[in-house]
Amino acid sequence: MLFQEAVMNSTFSLVPLVVFLPILGILLNWLFGKRLGEKGIGSIASLAAGGSFVVSVLLALALLQNHEGAHIPLFTWISVGNLDLSWVFRVDTLSVTMMLVVSGVSTLIHVYSIGYMHEDVRHQGEPKRFRRFFIFMNLFVAAMMILVSADNFLMLFVGWEGVGLCSYLLIGFWFEKGEGGLGNAKAAKKAFITNRIGDFGLLIAIFLIFWNFGTLNFAQVFEMVPSVAQTQPGVLMAITLFMLLGVTGKSAQIPLYVWLPDAMAGPTPVSALIHAATMVTAGVYLMVRTQVMYMAVPGAQQVVAWVGAITALFAGLIALGQFDIKKVLAYSTISQLGFMVAAVGLGAEVAAIFHLTTHAFFKALLFLSAGSVILGMEHGLEAGSHGHGSNHTDGSNHTDGIHHDDPQDMRNMGGIRKKMPITFIVYLIGALALAGIAPFAGFFSKDEILVAANQGNMLIFVVLVVAAFLTAFYMGRQVLMVFFGDARSDAAKHAKESSLLVTVPLMILALLSVLGGGLNFPGVHTLEYWLEHTLEIPHATEFIVPIALGSLAVALVAIFLAYLVYGRKPLASAKAADPLAKPLGVFFRWMNQKFLVDELYQAVVLGPYKKLADFFAYPVDQGVIDGLVNGMGSLTVSLAGALRKLQTGFARTYALSIFVGIIAILVYLLTRI
Amino acid sequence: MTRMIDIYSILPVMIVAGWALLLLVVDLWIPRHRKGITALLAAIGLAIALGFVLASSGNTILGFNQMVVLDGFSSFMQVLFLVSGMVAVALAYDYIQRMNINHGEFYVLMMFSIAGMMLMSQAYNLLMVFLALELLSIPLYVLTGFARTRLESEEASLKYFLLGAFASGFVLYGTALIFSATGQLDFVGIAAVVTAGSANSVLFLIGAALLLVGFGFKIAAVPFQMWTPDVYQGAPTPVTAFMSVAVKAAGFAALMRVFLVLFPSLSEHLTPILWVMAALTMIVGNIVALAQNNIKRMLAYSAIAHAGYILMAFVAFGNGEVVGNTVAATLFYLVAYGLTSFGAWALVIVIEREYGKGILLDDLAGIGKHYPWLGVAMLVFMLSFAGVPLTMGFWGKFYLFRTAVQAGYIGLAIIGLLTSVASAYYYLRVVVYMFMKPGEPKLQINPWVSLVIGVAALAVLLLSLIPWTILELASRAVLLLQ
Amino acid sequence: MPVIGTIFYAFLAIVAVGSALGMLINRNAIYSALFLVLNFATVAVLYLALGAPFIALSQITVYAGAIMVLFLFVITLLGAEKLPGYEPIKGHRIVAIGLAFVFIAELVLFFFFRNQVTGPIPLIGPEFASPRNIGVLMFTEYLLPFEVVAFILLSATVGAIMLTKPERKSTTKLSQQQD
Repeated sequence: MLFQEAVMNSTFSLVPLVVFLPILGILLNWLFGKRLGEKGIGSIASLAAGGSFVVSVLLALALLQNHEGAHIPLFTWISVGNLDLSWVFRVDTLSVTMMLVVSGVSTLIHVYSIGYMHEDVRHQGEPKRFRRFFIFMNLFVAAMMILVSADNFLMLFVGWEGVGLCSYLLIGFWFEKGEGGLGNAKAAKKAFITNRIGDFGLLIAIFLIFWNFGTLNFAQVFEMVPSVAQTQPGVLMAITLFMLLGVTGKSAQIPLYVWLPDAMAGPTPVSALIHAATMVTAGVYLMVRTQVMYMAVPGAQQVVAWVGAITALFAGLIALGQFDIKKVLAYSTISQLGFMVAAVGLGAEVAAIFHLTTHAFFKALLFLSAGSVILGMEHGLEAGSHGHGSNHTDGSNHTDGIHHDDPQDMRNMGGIRKKMPITFIVYLIGALALAGIAPFAGFFSKDEILVAANQGNMLIFVVLVVAAFLTAFYMGRQVLMVFFGDARSDAAKHAKESSLLVTVPLMILALLSVLGGGLNFPGVHTLEYWLEHTLEIPHATEFIVPIALGSLAVALVAIFLAYLVYGRKPLASAKAADPLAKPLGVFFRWMNQKFLVDELYQAVVLGPYKKLADFFAYPVDQGVIDGLVNGMGSLTVSLAGALRKLQTGFARTYALSIFVGIIAILVYLLTRI
Repeated sequence: MTRMIDIYSILPVMIVAGWALLLLVVDLWIPRHRKGITALLAAIGLAIALGFVLASSGNTILGFNQMVVLDGFSSFMQVLFLVSGMVAVALAYDYIQRMNINHGEFYVLMMFSIAGMMLMSQAYNLLMVFLALELLSIPLYVLTGFARTRLESEEASLKYFLLGAFASGFVLYGTALIFSATGQLDFVGIAAVVTAGSANSVLFLIGAALLLVGFGFKIAAVPFQMWTPDVYQGAPTPVTAFMSVAVKAAGFAALMRVFLVLFPSLSEHLTPILWVMAALTMIVGNIVALAQNNIKRMLAYSAIAHAGYILMAFVAFGNGEVVGNTVAATLFYLVAYGLTSFGAWALVIVIEREYGKGILLDDLAGIGKHYPWLGVAMLVFMLSFAGVPLTMGFWGKFYLFRTAVQAGYIGLAIIGLLTSVASAYYYLRVVVYMFMKPGEPKLQINPWVSLVIGVAALAVLLLSLIPWTILELASRAVLLLQ
Repeated sequence: MPVIGTIFYAFLAIVAVGSALGMLINRNAIYSALFLVLNFATVAVLYLALGAPFIALSQITVYAGAIMVLFLFVITLLGAEKLPGYEPIKGHRIVAIGLAFVFIAELVLFFFFRNQVTGPIPLIGPEFASPRNIGVLMFTEYLLPFEVVAFILLSATVGAIMLTKPERKSTTKLSQQQD
């Protein structure tokens, strides 16, 4: 017994490896990567991520013995005055669940990336960046691990910023590409700045926590929550809402979701790993972790639930009007994250984590398969243009906003089912899982959220059901547009199935998407009993048959409708309008244009901000510079003359400014004495 | 009677000033093309003084009839000034040759200015405060105009001189009012009169407000900041670097010494003024910096903004409970800012080909590709300036914000946070231009400047990991309050 | 204070302020310089009345004498008697004058209406400002400031020489500025 305990404890102390193995991977690739070649670089990076996964599995096994977990201190980070922060790893069922998801999905995506990036770097003409990609990916894994294993808010924030940085670097991976040579860089910047707004909310929340609780340690803070809720409910409200602002940034919720669709500028494995499966769920994780705080303020919970529900609906509507294969998935991700956030707001944390896990499986699968489709299209494009000489001399291509050679535009696809059978099957599995068709993973997890909504707030329930309907509909639309019908472009005609390195991870993920529902299977509730040791679970999840059947029916009806619209009569050509465009009219155009939210932000926030900067710049700076230019306009003027001119011109302005300051101070003092 | 202990209390200052005098004479025999010797000698003098500062630190001595004080605070500041001086010499050595202004007096004047700063950190009498202010300023006016064949340099010098004299006038007026309110000039005497309640409170308050104006000018707080961009742009770049670090530090040294010792009783009236000044400084500095294309001007506005952050912590100067944190956070920030600032200006020196020619963002294009290490160093500096978490700048801001929040100035902390978020834009823009724009930069890389850049970058990185070492030193550098 | 003393002080004050204004307003540099001489002299008389003959005489010899003569020489040699009468930035002067009045009004408010009554300033002995006393103070209590002043003057001298001594190379033409 003693021996067993010792083994267990030593297993727990392995936890720093989940962070340091990826860092080791970075160092190895950084120092020796140049000599190793692509296979070597990819193997090292994948092994580093895989090592993390193995450690996570060991931790999970140890946790089975000792559910309480452990706190493993690494070193004291800051110890000044009453601020005492250490880098402590927290091993409990929640953090280990997240570690398993993150490292597991990462490992698969790393392997997939070896094949994908091999093609991509050549397609983009920069083979040297292969190494950089894997270094960034490992860095991301390390940062994400810091985030989920943190034992205090500061370490969590470190990881939070770290993943943000990696996201920035990877979105801008092809920074010189994109619209006008700046598109990708702009997307990266947008993601970074939007996230900074969210981070700022989180930072304020952390400051408030430190100020009111005097500590940043999770356990100590949560212990004090009930008493603070009694004495200062307003403070707790502020903390939770500022934290929610952070969540809306990282987890792409209204109003800060705008960066995520643009983030699709990054390579597809990045979209799958960071912007679908793991990083964007950090916000959900944060709220689940701080569930005690949210439970103490029902008002904040309400806000959270509504933000999630409305995001789920809104993003679902936008997804319906998109033509870019990755954009549809991006909006779908936002919508699904909305489901998770709503679940947290409804007090169904287990359902949120459950959906987070299954979503990680099937959304990673969908993105990676979409990547496989894009690879096939790119391949077809090259083959097509070699075969036919010039296939897009037709200048009218660009007038209707469709680029015939855009390998991501669904209107250029069609009929890929026959060219890429494996990709098609796995994609179909992912889509069915996402749409919530039994017995795939998404059905069970989404059902739990709907049950929670049904018991909590009927209005939210209705909103979520509509969102679920939209999910099934746009997934049906996507599958039909991409894989069925006839090829609508040369690229689609010459598409080719991807290599095994790409398809094997897809198959594994497809398997997980099928079986993932078993994690918290109705009646068994494995996940719930597992998380019970860490989370407070107010009421156990039930499986309510009418709701389950109802949601299944909704999904089936949506898919059938999608078939009626898109399946019976596929798009005739790449230039044909969407069949929904006519009946929905302006509304479809709005959906296609994302309800003009980006433009709105531009007009309401960015425009005035820039004007303000210009306003400050004009009198102070332009005035001075113009003066300089004027003063030096005539070079023949002697030094003294020019100097005198400048001196009488502007130094007095500065002196006047000083003088105004003095007078203002004295006026103020006059009012005081 | 002058005692040995008096001499001991200002020994490092005497060494710097005396060495400068000797150097002034020795320089006559050093030929124009070998002024490197003068630079080396100046650096040696500063190093010797540094040794004495370190040796005499830990004591608390009042010297020269309480004219000066030697305490932990003055020692900390003097180390900062002397190291800044050495860095400035390293930066200047190649630059002034390139710009054909290599006169030995450059180093002599710099040493005079450093002596003034060191004296400023030790001043314990308003007369000494004023004289130290003049001793540090006058050589700087000259150094700013050192490239006197250049219109920009001459113009900057004249502007700096005129406005500096204007501000000095207010310091002097404030000193006179305080004297008439208390009949005393030395801190001990004034504090005694104030405690006894026999000071004329109105005159005392106005005197304090006028001193605030004078010091506000030196640290470039809004609305006394307008000279900064012009002077920073026109002065020889090593002088600018020196000014942006050491002069600012000296201004804060004076502000802290005078306000913490003399005016805590006035905090009720002065705190709102400082609050507004801090807020305006952060807002104006950061927002105008956004609109700059010229790097020198951008760094100048960024220097203004950073003074705003420090002022934010200083607002609480009358709150006895947090004042220790204020001093520690300020000293820490001055170190963090100083390292970063020297690094950034050193890079400007490397890029600057012709005197006074504005360095635009476009001139940075391609540096990341052709000089990756330089690019990485600049990335470190910019991230630290922006206060990206875990950089040294972040810790500095963290300590400042913490002090402000502890003292209850949440609004100010929020303004600070918002503006520092906005600042990320223009700092990152530099990085974007360096790494993401194609270009063929032609840099003038000199071993000494590279050394400065490398050491500064490494120091920023290292101290980002172990920020508390500096903070502990700063916490121990307490002021002798009375 | 006896009435005659008040009248005497008022007269001196008016002359001092008036001459300072004259120096500022006059656009002829020579007149300005002469007004400044008058101003220095008036202040010197004030020092004398306050019982500080040494300071009064130093004021006369150093400022009104040496420095002002130098000023006049420079002005006449440069031929810069006339200042241009234009104003580079419209409205600047009015704003500045207005602000100056506000400033004065503020000080008046402070000193005469908000000020608390304090006891008379302790009388100073007749020997206080004697040359002997000043000398003793300078080399005992104020030794350090005295030395610092020496350094300030030295650095100013070095600076003045640096900024004015002719460059061996001819000045290069300024290239076109852009910002």
